[in-house]
Amino acid sequence: MKTIALYSIKGGVGKTAAAVNLAYLSSRFFPPTLLCDLDPQGASSYYFRISASKKYNSDKFLKGNKKIYSNIKATDFDNLDLLPSDFSYRNLDIELAEEKNPQRKLKKNIEELSNDYQLLFFDSPPNLTLLSESLFAASDTILVPLIPTTLSIRTFMQLKDFFDSNKLNSSKIRPFFSMVEKQKKLHRDIINEFRNTPGFLTQTIPYNSEVEKMGLYRAPINAVQPNCPASKAYLHLWEEVIKLTELQE
Amino acid sequence: MRTIPETVYFRTKSTLSPETLAQQILPAGWILTLLSSAKEQQAFYDTFEWHAFEKGVAVQKKERILFLIDINSGQKSASVSFQGNPLSFFSETLPDSLLQTKLCSLSNIRAFSRLCLLNTFTTSYRLLDQNSKTVAIIAVESIQLTGHERYQEEIHLLALTPFKGYEEDTTPIHQSLSALEAVHSVLNFRELFLLLMKCTKQRVQGYSAKFLTKLHPDATIHESALLLLEHTFSVMLLNKNGIKKNIDSEFLHDYRVALRRTRSIMKLLMGIFNERENQYFLNLFRTLGKRTNDLRDRDVYLLRKKSYCNSLPPNLQPSLIPFFDNIAESRKVFHRRLSRYLSSSDYQVSLNEWEGFLNQQTLPDVERTPQGSRSTKSVALETIKRAWKKLLRRGRQISRETTDTELHALRIDCKKLRYLLEFFASIFQPDAIIPVIRQLKELQENLGAFVDASVQLHFLHQQLELIHSDTLFAASMGGLMVTLFQKKEEARLKFNKTFTSFDHEETSQLFHDLLTGSSL
Repeated sequence: MKTIALYSIKGGVGKTAAAVNLAYLSSRFFPPTLLCDLDPQGASSYYFRISASKKYNSDKFLKGNKKIYSNIKATDFDNLDLLPSDFSYRNLDIELAEEKNPQRKLKKNIEELSNDYQLLFFDSPPNLTLLSESLFAASDTILVPLIPTTLSIRTFMQLKDFFDSNKLNSSKIRPFFSMVEKQKKLHRDIINEFRNTPGFLTQTIPYNSEVEKMGLYRAPINAVQPNCPASKAYLHLWEEVIKLTELQE
Repeated sequence: MRTIPETVYFRTKSTLSPETLAQQILPAGWILTLLSSAKEQQAFYDTFEWHAFEKGVAVQKKERILFLIDINSGQKSASVSFQGNPLSFFSETLPDSLLQTKLCSLSNIRAFSRLCLLNTFTTSYRLLDQNSKTVAIIAVESIQLTGHERYQEEIHLLALTPFKGYEEDTTPIHQSLSALEAVHSVLNFRELFLLLMKCTKQRVQGYSAKFLTKLHPDATIHESALLLLEHTFSVMLLNKNGIKKNIDSEFLHDYRVALRRTRSIMKLLMGIFNERENQYFLNLFRTLGKRTNDLRDRDVYLLRKKSYCNSLPPNLQPSLIPFFDNIAESRKVFHRRLSRYLSSSDYQVSLNEWEGFLNQQTLPDVERTPQGSRSTKSVALETIKRAWKKLLRRGRQISRETTDTELHALRIDCKKLRYLLEFFASIFQPDAIIPVIRQLKELQENLGAFVDASVQLHFLHQQLELIHSDTLFAASMGGLMVTLFQKKEEARLKFNKTFTSFDHEETSQLFHDLLTGSSL
């Protein structure tokens, strides 16, 4: 099982939209796929009309494997399952701190799922905490959506510095530009500046109103509007990402 | 493997409409939306010996895909694309896949034959909860059984498959469906499979090549022998069609084993039947056996094709193609010949005579058949003991040179003892008979390897005549003969050790325990 995190220190960068659409595409090409919603806001879960069962909470999540497996729910799409988020996840960091070896906890907790899924996507909350560190260890690839703005780039640099100072494997980090508005000069300039930076993915995701409508459709845009520009961009992004996972020959 | 919640099948008297379902089973705010509607054919496959069912697997062809399904849970464990609904196929002919590996492990020698072909009309609906989230699929199915004129009735089903994580949410739906007046039974996948088999006149696990006739130790040996012969006769009858339809080589193999067992029963248990009749049928079955030899020989060589090729260097392997093509061609001729005979009135007359003989209920004249009224137990103990002692005596007499003739003869003695143990197995305790058979099996395998290599060498030697100027073929024959000669000599060298192990105190004790009657 390959694991891919959609991660950003900053919120509102298109993380969840990318997680939902990439997981959907993954379920079609490398079934079955699991999307693990780690954000207490539960946007991924909302997009799939899924809420966690009443008995599920961060405690169960920290117990891992079987407890996780029994709370996974099928989405409306074949071969795509989701581990829904729960509002109690807001305390995950505090609870994680009480665990032994918290940085390795997430990796350990999903071990048994490797027989069930080819690919696992994490949709992570926007911050840099102990949970994020655990996520970094559990992920083979960390996709970082960046809006081509100064602040977004700054948070990316912060992330790089964090990896370097903690001697983490920064080659896992694969940023890509998201919510790109080509009519904006600043966006064009930043993309041009970073286009050839090692590790950056070449595909960009355009700002598209159809993506915002995912909240209305409550389904991946690639499932309901496969021909819209954003869907095509996600498909190309997926093709770029899958090459990183070694699943594609 | 990711598990999907089990589908539950509700057998209904007629096709239920979505309106009826919506009215009668859905909670407020829940709806059904049409997902798909399709007419398709599905088929189930298994070997003649039910290898898949025995291991808890159903082999289903549906939507151009062949599935392996766990019979108890209904979970699909492997799949591969598959065209058409052939009458039979071999696992080895499937594309490389997990399914192929799994099917080959069930059987690669027996063909998977089509058990039934079903026309299915399915309309599937998504069951949406109050949040418009799909929580289950409800499929309304009508199944028509094809080719079974006597069963015209359609099977109407309603299949409820909850989505993972929504099993509890759909429990009330399950309960409401169960309570519907139109529903007359609730089935899991296994029960549905058995229902379909029953409707298509398939006897699940109705055939086994194993010798499972249950005898009573105090019954007369005449009664028991008739039971054994009835069993071997039924095996012959059951395999006839498979031979004629050319499904796989095991039909003929089992047919021949049944013939040999029939002859063994009559020869080993002398004095049970009228001597004249006994001799008549022995001759009849010997002649019948001979009629099958040529076809079986070809089958055996064709089954060895892969191992022959693999034992030669790649550059020599193509030279065997014409050799095997010739065997396949001659096989066709022998198959036609045997099939014609099996359909002939001569064969039918013989069968009728034999059936008439088996149906004689009265014990023959006691003076002419003094053994017939003895108890099965006493005859079993005596004949097994005699055969065992004979085997030991003959084995001990085998010279240091261990000639081919000596080993061939000893193999036959082994076989006779093995048959007796199998015929009477049911009157002994399993823990007494199984170790004895295991000890004998080791010796049989050794002698079998020897005779096998010896017969093949002889056959290949005959093939040398075919070589004119084909040097590659000559080299291949040479290569194969060297390999077989080595195997034969290895088996010969191993014989003394194997026989010593059989002719050992431990084995004697096992036979002693068996024959003193305490294990009865």
